[in-house]
Amino acid sequence: MTVAAAPSPVRHSARSWSGVPVLLAILAGLFLLHIAVGAKALPLGTVVDAFFAFDSKDFDHVIVFNLRLPRAVIAVVVGATLALAGALMQGVTRNPLADPALLGLTSGAAFAVVIATSVYGLATMALLPWIAMAGSLGAAAIVYIIARLVPGGATPLSMTLAGASVSAFLGAVISAIHLLNQETFENLRVWLTGSLAGRDVTMLYYVGPPMLVALLAGILLAPRVTVLAMGDDVAQGLGVRTGPLKAQLLAVVVVLTAGAVALAGPLGFIGLVIPHVVRLYVGSDYRWIVPYAALAGAAYLLGVDIIARVAIPPREISTGIITAMIGAPLFVHLVRRRTR
Amino acid sequence: MSHATAAPRHLVLRLFDERIALRIPLRALITATSLTLILLLVMSISLATGTYGIALEEVWNTLRGITISSAIDNVVWEFRFPRTLAAALVGAMMALSGATLQNATRNGLADPSLVGISQGAALAVVALTVLFPASLALFRPWAAFFGAIAVALAIQGLSHTRQGGGAIRFILMGIGLSAFVASITSALLTYSEIDRAMAALSWLAGSINATNWNDVATLAGWTVILAPILLALSRTMSAMRFGEGTATGLGAPIRLANNIQLAIAVALAAVATSVVGPLGFVGLIAPHAAKRLARAGMGLHLILTALWGAILVSLADLLGRAAFAPIQIPAGIITAAIGVPVFVILLVRTRPTQTH
Repeated sequence: MTVAAAPSPVRHSARSWSGVPVLLAILAGLFLLHIAVGAKALPLGTVVDAFFAFDSKDFDHVIVFNLRLPRAVIAVVVGATLALAGALMQGVTRNPLADPALLGLTSGAAFAVVIATSVYGLATMALLPWIAMAGSLGAAAIVYIIARLVPGGATPLSMTLAGASVSAFLGAVISAIHLLNQETFENLRVWLTGSLAGRDVTMLYYVGPPMLVALLAGILLAPRVTVLAMGDDVAQGLGVRTGPLKAQLLAVVVVLTAGAVALAGPLGFIGLVIPHVVRLYVGSDYRWIVPYAALAGAAYLLGVDIIARVAIPPREISTGIITAMIGAPLFVHLVRRRTR
Repeated sequence: MSHATAAPRHLVLRLFDERIALRIPLRALITATSLTLILLLVMSISLATGTYGIALEEVWNTLRGITISSAIDNVVWEFRFPRTLAAALVGAMMALSGATLQNATRNGLADPSLVGISQGAALAVVALTVLFPASLALFRPWAAFFGAIAVALAIQGLSHTRQGGGAIRFILMGIGLSAFVASITSALLTYSEIDRAMAALSWLAGSINATNWNDVATLAGWTVILAPILLALSRTMSAMRFGEGTATGLGAPIRLANNIQLAIAVALAAVATSVVGPLGFVGLIAPHAAKRLARAGMGLHLILTALWGAILVSLADLLGRAAFAPIQIPAGIITAAIGVPVFVILLVRTRPTQTH
């Protein structure tokens, strides 16, 4: 037996698979818990009953389906997509600080949505995801151009700083527009802090299909991201056409981010935190990082949202506040560790 | 007595039998004068503009103590004058804070609101008002100072590594830290009663509209204490412009000067924040604008910076309340909208050696 050569990838693969059922179990548990807790605490048994033996006369079952389930589903979708988008961005840009929020993509989407709804009075929801996509694509382009202009080129640090400045600027403009349109301000105020409360589930019908396509595309492209993460030269040497691949990945990231923003508003730091945590377990292979990030992101946002709802009853903290509280220290740590 | 210019571009003042001699670059002197005039102009327009329109002449007469009507008296003395003065003072303080911070950290991108110092002050003030609503307004500047100094120490500690901190890294850590501090502030606001939270919210956007004479007294008092220390330090500060090694060689007490500068930068930002809330980017723009207009020694540079800051915030406040009247846009939003493009330009111009 050639023990030395073979086991490493096999063991790695086996270990990698082993995490999937665990994560799925955690995800399912958190999903049920997320539905169970709240202003009216429901026993877990009732929640399970509501799924398998729905009784339209049972008030608790109605709560589960009409009020709690949409929020849990949105948390799963948003958490998974933001984490996946973050993982892909970190791979493509070889930037451990990449995150849809930090690089300005979420504020670009939010800005476009605010402009469309408050300045142009857009009312149809069907167009909103596309507007959000255009916004985040525009913001990504501006951030990249600024980072390229900085002496030293588009390093992780200059890119992140460019992203932060673009976000700050768009944030200031959004606040100004809000103050000028008090009505839209009332409508969008909660949405803009990145909250999962009172989200409209119909938005999911509009953003769901493109997001699903992007999600699958992201998982299919993941093996080539591993190669890309080794550097453009290496990737080209291994036969990867880096230009088209980067364009495809950008499209995936933009669609995912815009969809998540349309659903839950700009939530920060999820795309930063989750891939780093996942990497601790599965290493640097994006075939594993990408699906794990999606699962872990969904579980993470469910968990954070549970905390947001139960931390200071009867009020609710915006989910975005808690993700920032957890994510910002990790961000500082990553910047600090990065010596060059 | 003043006489004889040494070079065409300098004015040499010899006072008290040459016991005090100053060599002032003429251009900077002219700039300072014109900036002062612009500031006065902006302030008087600000006094005259508003929902209750008053002619400039009437404003002037009111300020001289001539009562035209009790309504005008009331509007000018009770509402607009304290607000205008507060805007100018806050601008000067934030500008000086930024200039000092840039000198102490030798980082052209430093600004009290960018590295989290303002947010630290904001957190302390919000915590004080939310958790101890009965506390006196007198404690606010002190709470703000302790919050700000805690963040300043944290960022100093974090950015001090073996490799030494680069400009961009320092700012990025500040951004991370401010995001963290701001999230705690938001959580505190969620926790508090709604009416108190609403008051705090408008304050957090950097709004000057609620200032009264007490606030002006606080701001002016602290400026009178802190600004002269800064001017006294200006010689050491100009030595530090050349870098740590040269400054030490020139006999500047680097360590002490650094600590004093940091403390003053924090104190200025904290007091200003405690009155009007975090006001972004003024400390970033003003020193660079001052440098652009006229090269000057550190002392005059600080004065120019303070004037710039005062003009900037007065103008932002005026724009914010006049442009879209009757809706008031907080000055902080306007300074941020102006400040970010300036920041990006400065970022693009940083020297390559500083970017890592």
